[in-house]
Amino acid sequence: MNYILNVTTFILKGSIITFELYFATALFSVILGVLGALGKISGFKWLKTILGFYTWVFRGTPLLLQLFFAYYGLPVIGITLKPFTAAVLTFILNYGAYLTEIFRAGIESIDKGQYEAARVLGMNYRQTMFRIIIPQTVKRVLPPTSNEAINLVKDSALVAAIGMGDLLRAAKQIVTRDFNITPFIIAAIFYLVISSVIVKVFNKLEEKYSVYE
Amino acid sequence: MKMIEIEKMNKSFGELKVLNNINLEVNQGEVISIIGPSGSGKSTLLRCLIGLEQPDEGSIKIEGIPVKTSKEVYRKMGMVFQSFNLFPHKTVLGNIIEAPLVVNKAEREKTIELAEELLAKVGLLDKKDTYPSQLSGGQKQRVAIARALAMQPDIMLFDEPTSSLDPELVGEVLNVIRDLARDRITMLVVTHEMGFAREVSDRVVFMDQGKIIADTTPDRIFKIPEHKRIKSFLEKIL
Ligand SMILES: Nc1ncnc2c1ncn2[C@@H]1O[C@H](COP(=O)(O)OP(=O)(O)OP(=O)(O)O)[C@@H](O)[C@H]1O
Ligand SMILES: [Mg+2]
Repeated sequence: MNYILNVTTFILKGSIITFELYFATALFSVILGVLGALGKISGFKWLKTILGFYTWVFRGTPLLLQLFFAYYGLPVIGITLKPFTAAVLTFILNYGAYLTEIFRAGIESIDKGQYEAARVLGMNYRQTMFRIIIPQTVKRVLPPTSNEAINLVKDSALVAAIGMGDLLRAAKQIVTRDFNITPFIIAAIFYLVISSVIVKVFNKLEEKYSVYE
Repeated sequence: MKMIEIEKMNKSFGELKVLNNINLEVNQGEVISIIGPSGSGKSTLLRCLIGLEQPDEGSIKIEGIPVKTSKEVYRKMGMVFQSFNLFPHKTVLGNIIEAPLVVNKAEREKTIELAEELLAKVGLLDKKDTYPSQLSGGQKQRVAIARALAMQPDIMLFDEPTSSLDPELVGEVLNVIRDLARDRITMLVVTHEMGFAREVSDRVVFMDQGKIIADTTPDRIFKIPEHKRIKSFLEKIL
């Protein structure tokens, strides 16, 4: 019992990194996704081209490769990042790319009659987007965004590959040391609890938005 | 006073000439019905008027002011669409107060008062806290009319306001428009409701293939449709 408690405490410490990475990525990738989506639907051709290239690269290559590139690759050209910085930047850019596409599709699914109604009422582009279009988009993108939020829990374990002491790595250290698989089971429970909480949060959000069609 | 003056307006979509040398004047308080076969350019005419489409050539003046010199003049007009286009994420009241609050920065209390007045006028005060998805088509359209009126336009444009409604719901919407006609709001109504056009309009404009073929009183257009195209159109629809 004592053993389990010790192991749990050790893993809990490791999970702090996981949480930090999670929340930093969640916050900034959503911002990046909104800006990316607005850029993609904007009339600026060069902006669309740049964003198209960005989402193509980040969605078309493995996250692990991107992580290696940021941590082991960039030093070759003289940019050395701390593991956490490399991880957080990579995750934000990667998830930002997915969210850009999700939000873009969401915005584009809104009927053009909504823009016209706003327009003939005298609303400008900014007012139309932030008061009419984006609020309706939020409801539509909740399910795919919730999938990404759960993926992020699992993907966060990849940082163990660049030597960061996250939740999974903490567990693995004890497994190697004690030759006992209990830590893995505890880690699995950790991940399950986190995922379940996230699912709950999204269900609550979806419920809130279900007052209208 | 001339509320609308359209001169030599042309509009093409690619090769397709949708508006062909349109000239139209509308006086204060006049109700104009616009009729004509599908694809004749009726919607495009209204959409050019309110700035949803840009005409290729010609001039539009609203209350004497060319739209080219001031985008603000578009605000003198309100528009109601065939497909309602209510904001689904806002309640009925929310739909109506949105633009006055956001665009005109109007005072909230006063705007709500005005919105409630308008809702009473269209007979939907009891629905003010409902979301559009819970309304019938006729109710949606009446909210859309109230929403447009909340911006206190001098001119109202209606693009087939009853075309997507079940027949039994058409009447309630036409009644609201009829009331507006009585209030002497200047109106352009694209419609297939010939009885209504005949009863409320001061003039009927008949369009075909992007041209205005006739612009005359309802009596003349319905009783003696001298033009072959008008005659065959009316025969089909009546
Ligand atoms: N954005 C657009 N791009 C290309 N063609 C268009 C566009 N809008 C309208 N058209 C075409 O222009 C013509 C006139 O369209 P418009 O909608 O003004 O006709 P209408 O008289 O309102 O017809 P209906 O009674 O069916 O509503 C049609 O042939 C239509 O297909
Ligand atoms: Mg039309």
